[in-house]
Amino acid sequence: MISETHKWKIAQRASPQKLSASKGIFQLGRGILIGSILPIILLITWEIAARTGLLAAHLLPAPTIILEKIISMYQDGSLFGHISITLTRVFLGFAIGTGAAVVIGAIVGYAKTAERLLDPLFQAIRSIPSLAWVPLFILWMGIGEPSKISLIAVGVFFPVYLNIVAGIQGVDRKLIEVGRIYQLTPYQLTKRIILPAALPSFITGMRSGLGLGWMFVVAAELMGASEGLGYLLVVGQNTYSPDTVIASILLFAVLGKITDAVLKWVEHRSLKWQDSMTNQG
Amino acid sequence: MLKVNRLKRTFNHGTAGFQDINLSVKEGEIIGVLGTSGCGKSTLLRVLSGLDQQYEGTISIENGSNNQIGMMFQEPRLLPWLSVKKNISFGLKKEERNTDKYKTYLDLVGLTGFENHYPKDLSGGMAQRTAIARALITEPEILLLDEPFSALDAFTKMQLQDLLLSIWQKKKTTMILVTHDIDEALYLCDRIFILKGQPGEVYSEVSIEKQRPRTRGDGYLSKQKAHILHLLNVEKKAAGEHQ
Repeated sequence: MISETHKWKIAQRASPQKLSASKGIFQLGRGILIGSILPIILLITWEIAARTGLLAAHLLPAPTIILEKIISMYQDGSLFGHISITLTRVFLGFAIGTGAAVVIGAIVGYAKTAERLLDPLFQAIRSIPSLAWVPLFILWMGIGEPSKISLIAVGVFFPVYLNIVAGIQGVDRKLIEVGRIYQLTPYQLTKRIILPAALPSFITGMRSGLGLGWMFVVAAELMGASEGLGYLLVVGQNTYSPDTVIASILLFAVLGKITDAVLKWVEHRSLKWQDSMTNQG
Repeated sequence: MLKVNRLKRTFNHGTAGFQDINLSVKEGEIIGVLGTSGCGKSTLLRVLSGLDQQYEGTISIENGSNNQIGMMFQEPRLLPWLSVKKNISFGLKKEERNTDKYKTYLDLVGLTGFENHYPKDLSGGMAQRTAIARALITEPEILLLDEPFSALDAFTKMQLQDLLLSIWQKKKTTMILVTHDIDEALYLCDRIFILKGQPGEVYSEVSIEKQRPRTRGDGYLSKQKAHILHLLNVEKKAAGEHQ
């Protein structure tokens, strides 16, 4: 017993943590470098092509023009308004959709009767393309915020719901037995074993839910809004200004990436215990 | 302290499981349950632990405190999202869970310094040590062990058997050990029940009258081993004749 422990300690000492950490940063830096070669070449080509008139400027303006557009929107103060309203919509829809999915998914995953009762209905609703709800939501709730947020919430709901149900139903029976040995109540069992065990698939669901949330905020803002990045798309289209359209696409990409990175970070932090490819080393 | 009377639990229309089991276990005893696969040994432990409640007959435990029974499985069954320290403390009441109580047991199983590791970073033997500590921390009256070392390599297995004995010397925990390893049963147990048949019944009881610690491969133990092998062989022949 001592020798085994001892061997482990030696192994720990033998792999210098610092070295591997700096190597990790180096590799990360190299990854970014390699990954950005093509985009940079593409941007430069695009810029040159636009400047020399190879590309029609009224269809595809140069990257610098688009950047200037964003900066000018920042300077006249409208940028912050558009971004914040879009972010608020996504955030509210995401929160409502996720909240509903957690409650319903937990019940469906946990109780067999609820599954038989509810799951067929949700599967049927899921097969409706979510954009088909748009006219109905506008009829019901008008063109204001409630219909937009509901649409986003519906989009977010399904991936989160499906993943929670799958996560809960996939919890290892052997671990549940451990809880039963210690005579945990159903509530304790849920809190201490089932939820942590279902967490990885819950986070996966949240990430794909968030992706759909961004998709649906575009749809919601296209269908009628007076502010927001989706509204900028419409304005750009109607005023023949591709720079506005591309600027807003770019902002969507950046925001989507940032919010996903936040979730990814949460995932990394809360799933450090997982024995997976990414956690090696 | 544990009495089991006419205990019965069968599956598949009475062709698997066990029936008519009568046992009484004294405090501080280590009881072995040996048998070929499919004779209901593991089911017996599942019934005793309360995991399986579809049984007939009676189980009575004296000195009934709240945490009467601890259980160790063939696999460590650690919760992968908890560190070693938190896994060990898992069965404690909420007030005690964040105290230093785990330290005693961490040291006891020889894992000092590993309290913040996650199960994914442990070797099989270390994970099973953690499981031993987790089973012991609630100070159960009876510790049930379901082939606890069968998935380990021969050396780790011997180390953990010795560890279990050293813990027994300190705590005098009553243990029921289900195993298919005759040497293990001979090395650890005071009495060995041999189960046979489908559904399994107690075919024979062998007492090992030898002071612990015992020497592996000792003459007396070898003789007992031959005896047990003979008992199990009889079962094999009998089963053969039926067919």
